[in-house]
Amino acid sequence: MTYNDRIFGILMIVLAVAYGWGTTQFSEPFGGSEAVGPDTFPRLLAIVLGLSSLYMVVRPDPDNAWPWSRTGIELIIAVVVLVLYAMFLQPLGFIISTTLAVGTLCWRMGSRPVKAFIIGAISGVVVYLVFNFALDLALPLGVLSFLEVG
Amino acid sequence: METLGYLMDGFGVALAPHNLMFALIGAFLGTLIGALPGLGPANGVAILIPLAFTLGLAPETAMIMLTSVYAGAMYGGRISSILLNIPGDEPAMMTCLDGYPMAQQGKASEALAISAVASFMGSLIATIGLILLAPLLADFALTFGPAEYFALFLLAFATLGGITGKNPMKTVVAAAIGLMIATVGIDSTGVQRFTFGILELYEGVDFIIAIVGLFAISELLFFIEEKAGGGKEKMVVNKLSLKWKDIREILPTSIRGGVLGFVAGVLPGAGASLGSFISYTLEKRVLGKKGYFGKGDPRGVAAPEAGNNGASSGALVPMLTLGVPGSGTTAVLLALLISLNITPGPLMFTQHADVVWGVIAALLIGNFLLLILNIPLVGIFVKLLSVPPMYLLPIVTMIAFVGIYSISNTTFDLYFMVAFGVGGYVLRKLEIPLVPVILGLLLGPEMEKNLRHAMDISDGDWTILWDSGLAIGLWVFAGLGLILPYIIGPILRRRMRATPDSGSPESD
Repeated sequence: MTYNDRIFGILMIVLAVAYGWGTTQFSEPFGGSEAVGPDTFPRLLAIVLGLSSLYMVVRPDPDNAWPWSRTGIELIIAVVVLVLYAMFLQPLGFIISTTLAVGTLCWRMGSRPVKAFIIGAISGVVVYLVFNFALDLALPLGVLSFLEVG
Repeated sequence: METLGYLMDGFGVALAPHNLMFALIGAFLGTLIGALPGLGPANGVAILIPLAFTLGLAPETAMIMLTSVYAGAMYGGRISSILLNIPGDEPAMMTCLDGYPMAQQGKASEALAISAVASFMGSLIATIGLILLAPLLADFALTFGPAEYFALFLLAFATLGGITGKNPMKTVVAAAIGLMIATVGIDSTGVQRFTFGILELYEGVDFIIAIVGLFAISELLFFIEEKAGGGKEKMVVNKLSLKWKDIREILPTSIRGGVLGFVAGVLPGAGASLGSFISYTLEKRVLGKKGYFGKGDPRGVAAPEAGNNGASSGALVPMLTLGVPGSGTTAVLLALLISLNITPGPLMFTQHADVVWGVIAALLIGNFLLLILNIPLVGIFVKLLSVPPMYLLPIVTMIAFVGIYSISNTTFDLYFMVAFGVGGYVLRKLEIPLVPVILGLLLGPEMEKNLRHAMDISDGDWTILWDSGLAIGLWVFAGLGLILPYIIGPILRRRMRATPDSGSPESD
């Protein structure tokens, strides 16, 4: 099967065309145009990407299998956990969000749940203490901000 | 003799107590990173960059620490090759051939000690080579005009896949993607490009975020997919009984390996994997019947290790003198230099002599530190091998989050990093290399600047790009870099295939 490379190649050709078209939308640089304007280099890139992607479509390599089914769901869970981690880092604070994120990831990767969340909590607290006291970089405390000293 | 003076100044920098301390920390962390499963050298250095950055370390200190990490990771990579027959990174592949049989014969600690000595010799020779060659090359590079630089950057991309690379067209695709991402933001004439009115994009995409995302997050996803969370069985190593005679026996091998490795490291398109491969094959040929290669010959451990470490120091030559890295990890070190506002290249040798020579001296010192660390502490590093990735990788990911967050204290960067991670996973699935993407991000602005300068000089005449003999030479080599893999690649790969396969996506 050689679908992956072909599909990706076509997507990249679309990107190259869209990107190339985007270069025509730049505003005129201040002081008039020169030999090489802001659009010259990107246009070269669009051509290079278009041609090399075309090669991928014409001469694709054999596919690597995608993880459908269960593993695929695990991957989606992991990405969702990472996005939620980023989202809740400030409101929940570093320690709690780290406990939850690292704990969930360890658990989904095969650890026993209790152990996973304990590891999460320990790593969160240790990194928080190291950053705040040894390295002097403030990480958000979030809902734990009542613990703040001084 | 001028070089010697600079080197002495360099030692002055590197021996300052706090620099020495960071070199030691770096060497230790590096060996850890090399030994731990799922943390390649490029990945490890990438995660540490934001930390070095936010700590506000002085440029020379940050560089010294991360170069020590780099050197240390090369040491660490051999541990799992020898004990588990699993190369920690691609260049360590050849070490499995004789290292693992030695371990099976109950000589694991001898194999580890021999490889440490060989690594030391390889790095030492290559660092001396670096000291001799780098100033010459930097002087030569001063004659480069913008057109030559433009061609040089092309050469760097073309040879990045290496002559053993599988599909050079995919390198081109990857490079184009990286360069395109680099054009996002406000360009040097003040024009907004591809910002879509998003404020965060005005300053362009921070390549550190991209690098950490591409390496660390995609690695996590790969481990989840392979369900490799379980970790490996505990290893016990025997008590070391190494005689002076054993070391003396591997010295000639180590010296040959180090020299070959250095050459392979300096040359574009060769790299550490080829360095260790050539050293091993040559040693097998030189010693021929006298050795028992493949059955646990100590020289079969020494040769690839010396070659591998020689190449990794050699790879610093083009990175420091031309600003053109030849491997993933040196690309990441380049990222550090750029984010410290140091323009790499020949001028760095005069403008930032303290940084360059401090780093070179630190390499020499770091080497001794690594040798001292590695022989007695090998037991600790061996224990780390059995840390299950299911705990390790989530924690590494968390540290990547903290590092990126602490750069700007915004959540936007974190989303961006996750997006790069998912993108990196898809690219790796398609066997599109990530290093050209990163190099594109790093070199994009510089490449465009040189194109503009060249065109300004010639008044819009494109032929200036191949007007000088030097530029033509660079174009020819760039062309060869793309064509040769199709011709020589299959042959070389078949020979290297005779050895255990490695699944690592990033080379050295």
